[in-house]
Amino acid sequence: MSEDRREAEGGRRLRDAGEAERREQAVRDAIRRELSSDEPADRPRAEDPGPAPGAVIEMEHISLSFDRPILDDISFLARAGETVVIVGESGTGKSTILKLLLRLLSPDDGRVYIDGQDIAPLSYAEALRVRQKMGMVFQGAALFDSMSVFENVAYPLREHTDLSDDEIEARVREKLQFVDLAPDEVVDKLPSALSGGMRKRVGIARGMASNPRIMLYDEPTSGLDPLTTGVITRLIIKLQRELGVTSVVVSHDIRSAFRMASHIALLYERTITFFGTPEEMAASDDPYIRDFLGGL
Amino acid sequence: MPGILSRVNVAAKKKIFAVQEYVSLSLASLRFIFARPFYAQDVVQQMDAIGVKSLGIVVLTGFFTGMVLALQSSVQLKTFGASQYVGSLVSASMIRELGPVLAGLMVAGRVGSGIAAELGSMKVTEQIDALNTLGTDPIKKLVTPRVLAALIMLPVLTVVSDVVGIIGGNVIAAAYVGIPTEAYFRTVWEQIASGGFTLRYIPNDFIQGLVKPFIFGGIISTVACYYGLATTGGTEGVGLSTTRTVVAASVSILISDYFLTQIMLSVLGT
Repeated sequence: MSEDRREAEGGRRLRDAGEAERREQAVRDAIRRELSSDEPADRPRAEDPGPAPGAVIEMEHISLSFDRPILDDISFLARAGETVVIVGESGTGKSTILKLLLRLLSPDDGRVYIDGQDIAPLSYAEALRVRQKMGMVFQGAALFDSMSVFENVAYPLREHTDLSDDEIEARVREKLQFVDLAPDEVVDKLPSALSGGMRKRVGIARGMASNPRIMLYDEPTSGLDPLTTGVITRLIIKLQRELGVTSVVVSHDIRSAFRMASHIALLYERTITFFGTPEEMAASDDPYIRDFLGGL
Repeated sequence: MPGILSRVNVAAKKKIFAVQEYVSLSLASLRFIFARPFYAQDVVQQMDAIGVKSLGIVVLTGFFTGMVLALQSSVQLKTFGASQYVGSLVSASMIRELGPVLAGLMVAGRVGSGIAAELGSMKVTEQIDALNTLGTDPIKKLVTPRVLAALIMLPVLTVVSDVVGIIGGNVIAAAYVGIPTEAYFRTVWEQIASGGFTLRYIPNDFIQGLVKPFIFGGIISTVACYYGLATTGGTEGVGLSTTRTVVAASVSILISDYFLTQIMLSVLGT
C-alpha cells in the first residue's frame, strides 16, 4: 500500500467513536481491503534476507498500525514440530498475529514466511491456497451452525480434496476419535447441541481434517472449566508429539502455556519483550515477567 | 465550526466508502455466478428458503390485496356506471405495480431480515473468518447463492401474487358487484392486451411486471448480504443489521419502483 493511499485512508476514519469500536472498525476495513483486492500487495520491499533455515513459521520485523500502532517490530520463528505460545494481556494484538499468519491481514512492514514462502505479496486467490496448509482453531470454535458435526469436519475435505465419500467418512471419524469424541454420538448433532469443550474439540478436528503441518490456536482454553482446559491442553500437546505439527498458540492462560510450549513469546506494549523456553521464562528476573507469572 | 465541518467530512467519506463497498460486493457476487466452483446445493437450498417458504405470505397478501382492489374500485367505478371494468383495474394494478412491490416488500421483511441475521451472526462468531481460513471465498459461498436464488424466485413469487390477486378480485366482483367470472376475466385480458405486445406475443404488462421483481430480488439479497457481512458488535449488532436491512431494502424497492416504471413506460410505450 502506497504512502498516499495510507494518507487517504487515514482521513475517513471516525474520530468520535469509542476507542475499541474504532480499532475494530479499522481492523475490519483493513481485512476487507485485503480481501477485496486481487492485486498483489505492492509496497517497496527492502532486500530479502530470506527465511531462517528450518523455520516453518517465521515473522520478521513485522509492524502494523491502524489508527495507532498495533504491532511494532515483531520477530519470532517456529521450527518444525515446535509449539510457540504467544502470551500477553488482553487487547495487545495477539490475535492480530494469527490474522497476519493467515494473511487475513497484511503487515505494513516486515515479512511473514510460511514454509519458506513469503506470503505478504500473494493475491487473494493465492492466499486462499496457502491457508490450506494451516489449520486454525478459533476462540469460539466458529463451527458452521447450519451444518452437522460431520459436515463441519468434512468441510475442508469436500472443498479441497477429491476424496470419495467413504474416505471422507473414515477421515472424519479418525479425527473425531483423535480429539476423544465418540464419532457415533456426535456426527449427526448440530454445533448448538454441544458443550463449549466439545465444540472446541470439534473445532480442532475440523482444523486438522486436511492433515495440515501447521496449526494455529486462538485462545484455545479461554472460557473453559479447569478440567476441560487440561483436556484441550493435552490435545494440543498430542498433536505436536504424535503428528509433529508446528503450532502457534495465542493465549493468556500462562499455566497451560507452560505445559505445551517449546518457546514462549511475551507480547508487551506492541512488541515481543521476551522469547525463550518456559524454563528461561521461569528463571527470568524481569519485573514485568515476574508480575505476569505472579498468578502461577 | 471546523469541528462540524470535519465531522461532516468524515461522515460523508464513511457513507461514500460504504456505497463503494456495497457496489463491489454486489458486482463480485454477480461475477461469481459464472465462476467455479459452483455451490449448486446452496443455490437450491436458498431457492427453497427464499421462494418456496415465502409462498404462504405472498399468497395471503396477494389474495387480500386483489379483493380490496376490487371492492374499492367497484365503488368508484359505479359512480361512472363502469362497474364492469373492475377486472381491468385489478389486473393493471396487480400485474404492473402491486404484485411486484408487495412480493418485494414481503420478501424484504421475511427473507432480507433472515439473511442479514444469519450472515451477521456468522460474522460475529468468526464463521466468516473460518470460511476464509478454510480456503473458501465467503462471497462465493454465501452471497452468490442468495443473490442468484432471489433473482430467480422473486419473479416467480410475483407471478403467484398476480394470479392470486386477480382471483381474489374475481371473488369480490362475483359476490358483491355481480360481474360473472367469464366477463371479469375478459376485461382482465383486454386490459393486458391494451398495453401492447413486444415481439408480437409478449404483453408489455408482463415485461414490466417481471423486470421489476427481478431487480427487487437483486436489491433485497445484496442489501441483506452487505449489512449481514458488515455486522460488528456482537448480538446487538446483528439486531441492528437486521433492522437496517429491512428499512433500506423496503425504501429502495419503493424508490426504484418509481424510476423503473418511468423508464419502462418510456421504453415500452404506454
